Amino acid sequence: MIGKLLSTDLLKMRRTGIWWIVFIGPVGLAAMQALNFGLRYDYLVRDHYASDPWSGLIEETSMFVPIAVYLAMTLLTAMIANVENRQNSWKQTLALPVRRSQVFASKFLACLIQLLAACALLAVSMLTVGLLLKFSGPIPYLDLLKLGVYPMLAALPMLGFMLWMTLTLRNQAIPISLGIAASLSSVFGGAMPDVFPLAWPAVVLGNGEEALRYAGFGITLFAVLYLLGSIHFSRKDVA
Amino acid sequence: MTELMIETRNLTKKYKGARAVDALNLAIPQGEIYGFLGPNGAGKTTTIRMLLGLIRPSSGVVQIFGQDLKRDRIKILRRVGSLVEYPSYYGHLNAVENLETIRRVLDVPKARIDEVLHTVGLTKDAKRHVKGYSLGMKQRLGIAAALLGSPELLILDEPTNGLDPSGILEIRELIKKMPKEQGITVLVSSHLLSEVEQMASSVGIVNQGKMIFQDTISNLQRKAGSEIHIALSDAEAAMIIVREQGCFARLEEGKLIFKGIDNGQIARLVAALVDARHSIYRVEERRKSLEDLFLNMTASASGASMGGISQITGGHSGAPRGAGLPKEVAQ
Repeated sequence: MIGKLLSTDLLKMRRTGIWWIVFIGPVGLAAMQALNFGLRYDYLVRDHYASDPWSGLIEETSMFVPIAVYLAMTLLTAMIANVENRQNSWKQTLALPVRRSQVFASKFLACLIQLLAACALLAVSMLTVGLLLKFSGPIPYLDLLKLGVYPMLAALPMLGFMLWMTLTLRNQAIPISLGIAASLSSVFGGAMPDVFPLAWPAVVLGNGEEALRYAGFGITLFAVLYLLGSIHFSRKDVA
Repeated sequence: MTELMIETRNLTKKYKGARAVDALNLAIPQGEIYGFLGPNGAGKTTTIRMLLGLIRPSSGVVQIFGQDLKRDRIKILRRVGSLVEYPSYYGHLNAVENLETIRRVLDVPKARIDEVLHTVGLTKDAKRHVKGYSLGMKQRLGIAAALLGSPELLILDEPTNGLDPSGILEIRELIKKMPKEQGITVLVSSHLLSEVEQMASSVGIVNQGKMIFQDTISNLQRKAGSEIHIALSDAEAAMIIVREQGCFARLEEGKLIFKGIDNGQIARLVAALVDARHSIYRVEERRKSLEDLFLNMTASASGASMGGISQITGGHSGAPRGAGLPKEVAQ
């Protein structure tokens, strides 16, 4: 049933422009770095990061990844929910013979697929930038993938929260404002204490050894939020 | 005894202490078009949402196809088609894609999409984006969506709301065909009695969350009763002759008004009046319109249901006969 629901959710997203977000985010980040490294080629590639330009590229990008991930989560969940909220289609969707928990799961999976696609696209476009700029040294495929995926996992609690907010609240202004505020403050994640979930993507990027641990924290906290959201969504009255 | 498709017992929904639906007992037999009537805010939509499992009852039981909705919600909903209030649609998709989102969940053959589009007459516009549709077309798409899973029970909440007269007619004809051609039981809600009268075979009237009448439409019409109005030259003098004939009339605007008299009595009365040199202008039968009946029933709703009954009978004078107790008085 989840598969069927997921396929309908992907169908409902046709022509909503949702895939543009998936596309523009990573490609935009890569384009920014292409400019950065292209314009300051002599300084960055030949001097500052001369020993390992690939990790230089990853390092320069990494400070923008948390905000990009949080923004993507905000926009994607809001757009996914908007498909149902706009014409109040919930009453049609939930009057079908489906479990509400499965509807909730399907929306989550749709969002997760898009986030993973964005991560993959980020890796590919960063690779392209590096190759175009003729970086020397071995290509760090794994690090390029981790660049998007680890912060995304560490940021998952945000997805759990946004999923619940956007799918249960009629007024989307509230979750979107909160989401954008969180995204903006995540820029200062490095300066926050590590217990603060908003800081986790930055911690993951700044500290290689702790990466897996904080990704794990992210998944755990997400699981709790997801469960609470799903239970509430399953029980609430549909207006 | 026909099988009941929908049965609710003491169905109640409280919102912050106020009872939107109050101990409602619905009984909808198979193959009927059941008109669910009530003024705006009477609790119709709330009831329908509870029937579809969209909101949870505060108390009471819903049984559909003889199964408990709480336990077998998914099994039941597979056999139910619904359209709740204004239509739900995805404006950025065309009609076929809209139906496809539902088809994938219901797992019916793709050919059903063309069939239901044909049924509601949208085949021509199937490839257009739904946001460009007129309200009537959106409503028909909503009905197509409700029909997609070949349901045995169709629940339509205000399906003709906001439509123009030709749209209303179209939808009405569509609904009337259902039980005949496909054996579908239909629950259709409305706040317009005239509309329900034209398609329903039985009715339930709710007001302030309570069921105040539930019976066949013909029994409702019978309850409305009829009066004989005789307009003549000197009504007051004629009253004496009426009394001599053993009839009771009331006088209103120079007319004699009789209740519950048969053809023989009318004939004798008219003959006697003519003999007494009265000029008779008009003898007419007036059915109390269902609209009046409906208004009387709903206006007298709060609490005292007995008061309401005397109003149904006319309330002015005369013996309250011909209009008995509503069969189902909410307890």
